[in-house]
Amino acid sequence: MIERMELFRTVAERRTNEIVVMTMTATLQWPLVSKSDLDFDFLAFGMGHAADFGLGLAIARPERKTIVWKGDGGILMSLGSLVTLARYAPENLVVFLLENRSYEMVGGQELPPRADFVELARASGFEGGGAAGKGKVERIDSLEAFQDALPRILTEAGPHFIVLPVTNREKLPPVNHSDHAERIRTLRKALDVS
Amino acid sequence: MSEKGASANKTVRKLHELGFTHALMIPDSESRLLYEALENDPEIDLITPCREGESVAIAAGLWTGGLKPLLVIQNTGLMEAGDSLRGCGVGPKVPLRMMVGWRGYGGATAGKLPIDSAYTFTEPLLQAWRIPTWRMMSDDDLGTLELMDQTAAETSYPAAVITGYGFKP
Repeated sequence: MIERMELFRTVAERRTNEIVVMTMTATLQWPLVSKSDLDFDFLAFGMGHAADFGLGLAIARPERKTIVWKGDGGILMSLGSLVTLARYAPENLVVFLLENRSYEMVGGQELPPRADFVELARASGFEGGGAAGKGKVERIDSLEAFQDALPRILTEAGPHFIVLPVTNREKLPPVNHSDHAERIRTLRKALDVS
Repeated sequence: MSEKGASANKTVRKLHELGFTHALMIPDSESRLLYEALENDPEIDLITPCREGESVAIAAGLWTGGLKPLLVIQNTGLMEAGDSLRGCGVGPKVPLRMMVGWRGYGGATAGKLPIDSAYTFTEPLLQAWRIPTWRMMSDDDLGTLELMDQTAAETSYPAAVITGYGFKP
């Protein structure tokens, strides 16, 4: 298991020009380690669809990676998205699935215990998918292994679907209620989109 | 007056004129010919998600990244995609351009029973979201695509044409 804030610090230290889309509890903790106009808070933009939004961004902006911090409860809300991600599979898309086996944001209720997110991603065609056939599905169980793998993940062609079993011992900050239209404008400006 | 339904090929030419880069579309019985025309079109990239909630979020990502997507969505899919349309279009004022297939229109207006509830709720649903709409019933109405496109751009808000009779070649 990996402590989530350690995971976030590891990525924030390595991150350069990547777009980072986050949702649910990641929207509360990622801003503690990152202040960038390329960060996008997807909370309340559509349940289960953060990675779909990331797919659109990745297709539109092939010059940089798009990272999505995605929850395991969220992915169950739109399992078909896995098939779509695997079908279009841009090389610059990285989905980090934060697996805590619960609906943490709303009280920690248990997820279906036998759902295997690595196998779901593989069965959706993610592994070996994409135009270059380089799609990868991985499960990384420790912070040390993640620190070793991250430089590769951020530089090699993907897409990547990485399952990360996480815990959290930190108190969660309050929800960000910033204006949704402003979030879009800020990201477009950071991407030099008029 | 042209016969019922818009020409798929003329529709695609109009989409070229308007500069669309991508179409997000799941095939359905009424829009099948438009889907096939887009599949074979070299200028507009066709993306076929599994369900329409995905389509809306992908389109919002494409637009945020600087591209110009079109959502082609049957009214039943529009109903499924409600939270995504609210969250990725209406709330953040993303100018999503939509063509909404009006399943049930032909039968309902011809007096056939039972009336498809998808027909009944299509326009009221779009009105509830305050999404401006135009009806595209034949080739005579292809100009509504331009009105929809301009309105979305000027208001930075979703806009839609509703296609009542599907497409012909």
